[in-house]
Amino acid sequence: MSDTSTSANVPTTNTLRHAVSAAIATVTDPEYPDVSIVELGLLESIEIDAVNPTITAHVGLIPTFGGCPALAMIAADVRHAVEAVDGVGRCIVNWLPRPVWTTKRMTAGARRTLADDYTVVLRRKDGGLRCPVCGGGDVDDQSLAGPTRCRSIAWCNGCRNAVEVMRN
Amino acid sequence: MRTLTASPVGGRTWRDLDEFQEYIDTGGMVEPGDEMPDEYRNEVFRFIEFHANSELMGGLTERDWIPHAPGLRLKQVFLAKTQDEIGHAHLLYMIAADMGRKTRTEMLGDLFDGRSRFHNVFHYQAVTWADQVAIAFLVDAAAFASQRAVFAECTYGPYKRVLKRIVAEEGFHMRHGEEMLLRLATGTATQREMFQAALDRWWWPSVQLFGPDSPPGDADPLLRWKIKSERNEALRHAYVQKYVPLLQGYGFDIPDDGLHQVDGQWKTSEIDWEPLKATMRNGGPASARRIRAAADNWSDTAWVREALG
Repeated sequence: MSDTSTSANVPTTNTLRHAVSAAIATVTDPEYPDVSIVELGLLESIEIDAVNPTITAHVGLIPTFGGCPALAMIAADVRHAVEAVDGVGRCIVNWLPRPVWTTKRMTAGARRTLADDYTVVLRRKDGGLRCPVCGGGDVDDQSLAGPTRCRSIAWCNGCRNAVEVMRN
Repeated sequence: MRTLTASPVGGRTWRDLDEFQEYIDTGGMVEPGDEMPDEYRNEVFRFIEFHANSELMGGLTERDWIPHAPGLRLKQVFLAKTQDEIGHAHLLYMIAADMGRKTRTEMLGDLFDGRSRFHNVFHYQAVTWADQVAIAFLVDAAAFASQRAVFAECTYGPYKRVLKRIVAEEGFHMRHGEEMLLRLATGTATQREMFQAALDRWWWPSVQLFGPDSPPGDADPLLRWKIKSERNEALRHAYVQKYVPLLQGYGFDIPDDGLHQVDGQWKTSEIDWEPLKATMRNGGPASARRIRAAADNWSDTAWVREALG
């Protein structure tokens, strides 16, 4: 993360940056209403521009997938949350072309919530799958195309549950 | 409390129906490996099959509007909604087929031959773009309310787990519906007229989606087995309370001359259930065309399934 502010107002921008960061963390993914976009690894940068008469927060986000239909909604939610921060006049959200999002950007907490509450798992390093319901490894891929661009569909032969897999 | 991570040990057996009912009544979750009374298995299977059919038919109607959606962003939204509904159908057909009553191929065959049912709202024609907005705003909301009420209890584990994701995604669709409605409601006089005309077409089918009053007491096996958590009339009532003031607030007229308030509660005029019954016989205004389009889509895409093995 970089900071474009001058050294004279570093304490102010640092405080603001923390407040902005906390505000963004309250924004959840529209498809997982209890998982923060920060935990999903969408937040890439925050820049506070305190030189302007209006203090502007530039927020850089990266999409899980290009063409994700939630981007406009997420950006609007981030803008709304950040502009409610005391001292911030304006928030500009940019969707960055890189780095490219991977499941590695997700926190352990987000992975756990997706597995426990949504029956959605990440592929293991060896390419295998572990069922989030029974913990078994007898899970077969069914379709690359799941209900969203970021998920595929699998089936657990052990406990006979439909499992979804986050795509990298 | 039925949690999603309840250990799906399976293999539970019951001395009699009473013991099974007691397991349900004390918060038990039924897993695929458990013994199930035939009536439970049949009712749950039929319910999931109906849901799966509805997702598939709904997805195909969304697809029809991708080329007509105004602007790239809305095309993207309709593309995503189509993928969503088809994906939901896929998940639901998998868990339905696993119940051993019909294979996925048999379910699709029955659907395309007009032998099975799907939600009443997909038996009508969407005439203009405003109809699609009315569907996103009104119909998705009705479907969301009824699915959320199923999720709240839902004793069949695999269905409850799939519903968790479906409900989250339908909530997301509703936000798109609100956004699209706002555009028309704050638009030109023509846009407002278009939406009013669409509302006139879609209000009653949306209200009827909840179905007639549930039979008295616990006569409905789906309530008894705690697949449904709420009676049809309670869900319908809550829906009317929410959407009448919302639509009136935007300055639209509810197409019901008998709509009135009793003790601050909105009451619709007596509902004519004949249109709903007609759709359940696949005899709705657009049933034949919709079913044929779905069947054609299935045969037109056979080469993709063959290519993928």
